[in-house]
Amino acid sequence: MRGRGRTAFIISFLAPAVLFYAAFVLWPLVQAFQFSTFRWRGLSARMTPVGGDNYRQLWEDQAFATALKNNLLLLAEAGVVIIALALMVAHVVRGQGPVQKFLRSIYLFPQVVSMVVVAVMWQFIFNPQGLFNAGLRALGLDALTRTWLGESAWALPSVAVAFVWYAVGFYIMLFAAGLEGIPQEVNEAAELDGSKGWHRFCHITWHLLWSVKRVAVTYLVINVMNTFALVYLMTRGGPDRRSEVMLTYLYEQAFVNSNFGYATALAVGNFVVVMGLSLLILFLFRRNPVEARA
Amino acid sequence: MNKTLLLATALAVAILAGCGGPSSSSATASEAPTGEGELKGDLEVMAFEGGYGIDMFQKAAAEFQELHPDLKIKVSGNPRVWEQIRPRMVAGNPPDLMFPGWGMDHWALVAEDQLLPLDAALDTKVGDGTWRDTFDPNMLKLCQKDGKTYMLPYYIMVYGWWYDPAVFEKNGWTPPTTFSELLVLGEKMKAVGVAPMAFQGQYPYYMIEGMLFPWAQGIGGIQAIVDAQNLKPGAWNSPAFLKAAQMIDELNKKGFFLAGSTGMSHTESQTQFLNGKAAMVPCGSWIESEMKEVMPPGASVQYMPVPFSEGSGDPTALLIGVEPWMVPAAAKNPNAAVALYKHMTSLEKAKEFVRTKGTLMTIKGSDQVELPRVLQKPAETVRNAKVVYANLVRQWYPEMWKEFEGGITSMLNGEITPQQFVDRCESAAEKARQNKNLVKYEMSL
Amino acid sequence: MKRFLSAAFLLAFTLSVLLPLLWALMSSVKPGSEILGQPWALPSVLRFDNYGRAWGEAGIGRAFLNSLMVTVGTLIVLLPIGAMAAYVLAKYAFRGAKALLATFLGGMMFPHFLVIVPLFLLMRDLRMLDTVYGLIIVYIAYSLSFTVFVLVGFFVNLPDELAEAAMLDGCGHATTFWKVMLPLARPGLIVVGIFDAIGLWNEYGLALVLLPSEANQTLPVGIARLTMTQQYQSDWGALFAGLVIVMLPVLVVYSFFREKIHETMLAGAVKG
Repeated sequence: MRGRGRTAFIISFLAPAVLFYAAFVLWPLVQAFQFSTFRWRGLSARMTPVGGDNYRQLWEDQAFATALKNNLLLLAEAGVVIIALALMVAHVVRGQGPVQKFLRSIYLFPQVVSMVVVAVMWQFIFNPQGLFNAGLRALGLDALTRTWLGESAWALPSVAVAFVWYAVGFYIMLFAAGLEGIPQEVNEAAELDGSKGWHRFCHITWHLLWSVKRVAVTYLVINVMNTFALVYLMTRGGPDRRSEVMLTYLYEQAFVNSNFGYATALAVGNFVVVMGLSLLILFLFRRNPVEARA
Repeated sequence: MNKTLLLATALAVAILAGCGGPSSSSATASEAPTGEGELKGDLEVMAFEGGYGIDMFQKAAAEFQELHPDLKIKVSGNPRVWEQIRPRMVAGNPPDLMFPGWGMDHWALVAEDQLLPLDAALDTKVGDGTWRDTFDPNMLKLCQKDGKTYMLPYYIMVYGWWYDPAVFEKNGWTPPTTFSELLVLGEKMKAVGVAPMAFQGQYPYYMIEGMLFPWAQGIGGIQAIVDAQNLKPGAWNSPAFLKAAQMIDELNKKGFFLAGSTGMSHTESQTQFLNGKAAMVPCGSWIESEMKEVMPPGASVQYMPVPFSEGSGDPTALLIGVEPWMVPAAAKNPNAAVALYKHMTSLEKAKEFVRTKGTLMTIKGSDQVELPRVLQKPAETVRNAKVVYANLVRQWYPEMWKEFEGGITSMLNGEITPQQFVDRCESAAEKARQNKNLVKYEMSL
Repeated sequence: MKRFLSAAFLLAFTLSVLLPLLWALMSSVKPGSEILGQPWALPSVLRFDNYGRAWGEAGIGRAFLNSLMVTVGTLIVLLPIGAMAAYVLAKYAFRGAKALLATFLGGMMFPHFLVIVPLFLLMRDLRMLDTVYGLIIVYIAYSLSFTVFVLVGFFVNLPDELAEAAMLDGCGHATTFWKVMLPLARPGLIVVGIFDAIGLWNEYGLALVLLPSEANQTLPVGIARLTMTQQYQSDWGALFAGLVIVMLPVLVVYSFFREKIHETMLAGAVKG
C-alpha cells in the first residue's frame, strides 16, 4: 500500500497494540529471565543473586523430572486418543449436512466451557462414589471400580480422559475440515485404483491430512504442556506426584514454598521444553509429502 | 533460536542488573512496641476471613475506637487475605496488625525479619500479672523462635478423631481409647458393613496429624516429636515413627479404611463419614461448621482423642493448631496494633469469642463459659493435656513436608512398606539438613 | 451392518460428550448430599434454591458481574487496536514488519505462568493489582497475539484493489481503513471477538493471581475457591449451580454464533 502519510499512519496504527504488548507481555518476559537468577521468597524486598544456581537445582530436581515426564505421558496418552477418536468421528460426521454440522457443534461444547468447570465436574465424576463408579456398579462391574484420582496408576490417565473430553471436539472440527479439503478428484482416482477403506486411508487420506496434522500436533503440545487448572483442581498433582505437571509444580514452588526465583527458573525450563517440542514438530513436518511428490 | 534466547537472557540481565530488581523497601525495626502510652493515628487491621468471619474483630475494633477517639481503625478481611498481604509486605507497606491465615508462610516472615518481636509488650502489666500470663504458655511457645515471640496465638484448633454418637450408641460401640481397643472395635464395625475409618486422601496431612504424629508420640514420647521436628539425624526413621507407620499400615492391610479414601478431598471423605459409610474420621475441631450444609438429618459429630498407641509416651499429649496474629516490622503504628490486640485477647473478649463462635481460645480461662456441645470434649482434652504440641515442620520446611505427604500416600496405596516410608522421610529430612539456604528452626518443650 | 456400527459409535460418542454436562445440570438442582450419594438418581426434590445460594452467599453473582465487566471492557479496547495493528501488518510492507508479526505471534507460544511473578510485581508497582481495570489491561495485552493472528489472516485475504480504489478517491490511509476495510473485515472481528470473549470469560491463571480479593474475583476463580477452601461449609448443590452459571452464557453465545465459529475453523484449518 502506498500513499501520502504512510509512515505516520503505520506508526500511529501500530502504536497502541505495540505499547500494550511491550509493557505487559514483553517486559515481564524479559524480567522473568532476571528473576530466575535470584533467590527470593516473595515476602520482603530482599533478593539474593544466585547466578545459575536455580538452573543447576532445576537440572537435578527429581520432582521437576517427574512433572516433565508426566507432561509427556499426558501428551502421549491424550494425544493418541484424541487423534484416533477425532479421525474416526470426523470420518462419520464430515460433510455439510445439517445433522453433521449440528453434531460437530455439539462436540465443541466442552471446549467453550471453562477449564475450571471441566476440572470440578470430572473430579466429581471420578470420585470413588461418583458418577463413573456408580455407573460401573449399576452394570454389575463392581470389580472395575477404582479410586480413579487416588491410585498411582490411574490418576494421570483419569486426568487425560478429562482432557480428551475437553479437547476432542476441536480436533474433530479440524479433521472434518481436512477430510473435506481433500479434492474430489483424489477420491475418484483412488476409487478407480480400487483403493478402499483402511488401505486408502493409510496410503492416501493420512498423507493428505498433512497440514491439519501439523496444526493438531502443535496445538496439542502447547495445550498439554500448559496444563494447570485441570490437574491442580482434579488431583493437586497427587497421589505422590503421580499426576504432577510442570505448571502445578511451578505453582507449588512459587505460591506454597515461596521460592519465587526458583519458580521463575521452572517457568523458563517449561518454556524451553515447549519451544524445543515446537521446533521438533516444525522439523518433522518440514515438508508437505504430497507437494514433495508432485 | 537458541542464540536468540541466549541473547535475550544476556540482554535482560545486563539491563536489569542495574535496576536492582523490585523496588526496595526499608523495613527498619521500630522501637519495641508495648501497647502503652498515647494511642493515635491510623491503625489498619487485615484478617483472614474463615469460618468464624471477621465480625468479632470489627466489633472489638469499634469498642476500642470508642475508648481511643484519636485512633482511626480500619478492619478488612478476606478468605484469601494472605494474597493481599504478600505484595504489601514486599512493598514495605503492610497493615499494622494482621491475621494472615493458613495460606501465609508465617515462619518465612520471621526468617525474613518481617515481623516485630512482641516480648516487650508481653511483659507489660495486665491485671495482676503480665500480658504473657494470660496466654496458655504451651501455645505461646509455638510462636517463638530463638526465645523471641513473633506471633501471638488467638484461637486454636484441636485435632483428633470424630464419630457420630447416635451410630455408636445404636451399635453398642464405645470410642476406642487405645490402639488395641481400636483393632477390636474395627472388626465389629466391619462386621456390620461399616468401614472403621475414612480419611482425606487428597490432603495427606490429615493422616500425618491424625495418626502418625500422635502414635509416634505415644510410643516414643514427646521427645520423638521434638527430635523429628528439629531434624535430629535418624529421628524420622526412629523406632517410634516406624512403629507408628506400621500401625497405620496394619489398619490399611486389615481393611479398616474406607475404599477410595486416597482419592478423596476433605469434604468428600467427611461426607462419606457423615453418610454412615465410615465410623470415624480424623479432623480438626472445625469439622462441624465445615460440614453443616451436607449433614444428613439426625447425624451429628463428636470428638474423641486419637486412640493411644500404648508406648512410653504421654496418653494425654495433644496435637493442636494455632492461628496466630502478628505485627509486621514495617507497621506504621505498631504500638496501637499491640494495644488493640491486648483488648481483643482480654479474658472478657476471649470468652465472648468462644461463646459466639464456638471455638477454643489460647487465653487462659476463656473456656469457662457454656460451651457448644461439640466443643465440650475437645475443651476437656485440652485441659487434661500435660503436653500440647503443633505440627511445625509443615510450615518450616514445605518441600520436606511434601515428600512426607507423597510417602504416606504411597504407603496407603500399598506401594511402599512402612520402613520405606520412614526412610524416605528421613532422607527428605537429610536433604533439608544439607540445604544451606534453608533457614532452620527449633522447637523446645 | 457397517452403517449400523458407525451410527452406534456416533451415538455413544455423542452421549459421552453430553453426559457430564447434563449431569452437572441435573446435580445443580439436587440436594447437596445426593450429588455423591446417588449420582445417577433424579433429584428427590428440586432444589432451585441452590441457585439462590450460589448467586448470593457463595458469591457467584458478584463474580458473574466482574467477569462480565472484564470481558466486555477488554473487547472494547482489544478489537479496535488489534484490528489496526493487524491491518498494517497485513497490508503494508515495511522494514521489520515480519519480525513484529513474529513477535506478536510468539506471545501464543509461552505459558502465562512464565511471566506471572514479574507481571504481579509490575501491576503492584503500577498500583493496578487487585483492580478490575488492571486485569482488563493485562487481558488486552495477552489477547493481542491471537487477535492479531486471526485478523491478519482476514485482512490478507481482502483484495488490495478495494483499498487502492478508496485511496484514489482521495481517502487517507486511516479513512480507508475505518470506512472501507474494517467493515469488510467485520465477520473476522465478530469471530475473533467471540473467541476472545469465551477465552476471557473462562480465564483462570492470571485472574487467580492478579485479583486476590474476593470482591473482585471472576467466575472461574470464584468456582475454584468454592471447591478448595477448607474449614468452610461445603455446599455442593450451590457449587453445581455455580458451574451451570459459568457454563450457560458461553454455551448460549456459542450456539448462537456456531456457524461463524465453524467457518473460521474451517478456513484456518484448510490453510494450515
